[in-house]
Amino acid sequence: MIQVKNVTKKYGSTIAVDNINFEVKDGEVVGFLGPNGAGKSTTMNMITGFIEPTKGQIIINGNDISKKPRKAKKEIGYMPENVPLYYELTPKEFVSYMAELKLVKRNERKQEVEKVIKEMGLEDVQNKLIRNLSRGYKQRVSMAGALVGNPDVIILDEPTVGLDPKQITEIRNLIKELGKKHTVILSTHILPEASQICEKVIIINKGKIIAIDTPENLEKATKESNGISVIVEDPKGNMSKIKEKIKEIDTVEFVKDHEDGTKQYVITTSSDIDLRKKLFEVLPKEEIVIFELKKTETTLEDAFMKLVNTTKQEDTVKKSKKEDKQKKTKEEKSKKQVEDKETENDSKKEEKK
Amino acid sequence: MWAVFKKELKTYFLSPIGYIAIGIFMLMFSIFFYLTTISYGSVDMGNLYYATARYGLLLMVPLLTMRMFAEERKNGTEQLLLTSPRSVTSIVLGKFFAALAVILITLILSIIYAIIISFFGTINIPTLIVTMIGFLLVAMAAISIGMLASSITENQIISAIITIVVLVAPWFLVDISEIFSSIDLIDKFLKFPSGLVSVSDTVCLLSITAMCVLITIVLIKRRKAVK
Repeated sequence: MIQVKNVTKKYGSTIAVDNINFEVKDGEVVGFLGPNGAGKSTTMNMITGFIEPTKGQIIINGNDISKKPRKAKKEIGYMPENVPLYYELTPKEFVSYMAELKLVKRNERKQEVEKVIKEMGLEDVQNKLIRNLSRGYKQRVSMAGALVGNPDVIILDEPTVGLDPKQITEIRNLIKELGKKHTVILSTHILPEASQICEKVIIINKGKIIAIDTPENLEKATKESNGISVIVEDPKGNMSKIKEKIKEIDTVEFVKDHEDGTKQYVITTSSDIDLRKKLFEVLPKEEIVIFELKKTETTLEDAFMKLVNTTKQEDTVKKSKKEDKQKKTKEEKSKKQVEDKETENDSKKEEKK
Repeated sequence: MWAVFKKELKTYFLSPIGYIAIGIFMLMFSIFFYLTTISYGSVDMGNLYYATARYGLLLMVPLLTMRMFAEERKNGTEQLLLTSPRSVTSIVLGKFFAALAVILITLILSIIYAIIISFFGTINIPTLIVTMIGFLLVAMAAISIGMLASSITENQIISAIITIVVLVAPWFLVDISEIFSSIDLIDKFLKFPSGLVSVSDTVCLLSITAMCVLITIVLIKRRKAVK
């Protein structure tokens, strides 16, 4: 079990992680989501004891990582971002070195290393130099380094970055497999990945946690209205009249024309009923032919965008209040500069998207 | 400590660095063997070790120490070390002793020359041993300085240059003022080749080593909080 209590990390006057609290129970697979620079890696680095939090406590299976580092770190397998490796070693040598560093007993070491190498599918390359391996293999070697010694908690910082689609599926399956025996924390900004693998996601933005829940709940919570997407052939242009025929419909929104002459619409309702049944009855009467009829789904991506955007709005509201009320002391000036930069960056990002 | 020591020593010989360091030593040692021993028909090896310490260590030590922490930091492998259950102290000491081990290997190789001389005269073995101990002490101090330099930068070249400057600067500083006459590291080795174990020099060399090793440990621990 991992407990993160009131953890703050400051770099000078910049606050990278701002008073976060969460718990990860044994055997959970937790995804850490957030835009770039949100504080994901910083948080992971603090959990693994690579950097010290400015304030707060991190407890791994009952051991405080700052006070009992040896005990706490023994429980953790960490695969850092950018997969750092010793290029002059072979995968086998690297994994053995990691096993030694992680205090795996001498008599179990050889067996443990062989087991992990087999698990990660590295048998064919185990005696080649890591320098000469492909990116996918390097990733696996790094992961093998994290897994060796059978730690309780496995922390993976962006485990699928830079892999090809086949390797991504392999790594995802492997993480699912790991989740059966270990507690796994992984960070990613690929959202479908998180909803696929994780039982719980923590969304973090600008150093603050903005949501902790299951992916399904987040999707539900941010669902605004009940939407149906239809693709129809409508030679007489009767779609615009549909709204009068079915009273529950709020909006009928045209999406696009398809090449085969069909049109796509999104129909929404605020009431809790399933519109599909009614549409199926009414549309043929209006001489509209249905090609496709399905519920629109909110994805984790929508939920994420919405949550991140709402915090951004709150921030700007706060900022304008500040400007009105307070006289500018030096400290605040610098804080604001940082905030301004961040919003600038964010808006740039959005433009790019 | 043992795990880091083994890996580091292995890495010295997986890359050319270990061989180059030993090569430099053997080259210098051979040149000075000719200049100080053969050409004078002398059996005294003291000057030989002194000259090698003065000029050989200057090249060997930066070579051995420059990558110690600088490379780990640059490649991010530092993350693997510092998130392992091993303590910073054991990691630093492991690296320190690995570099020292390379120096020890060169010293063992230097015995060949003693054997060659022994065909032509008698060698004073206790003096030779004291000389080697002195050489090792100077090397320890130099390595610890190099290690400290490596831990403050992520650029290996800068780390090497800092080490060389610290080792060479006293040669010129003496010309500026007499105050600097006692800070030359290699001078502390001056008495050992004549078979004298100077307590003050030994204490001085050991304290420089201990101080630099300690500062390295503190710096790395401190960086955890600042980083």
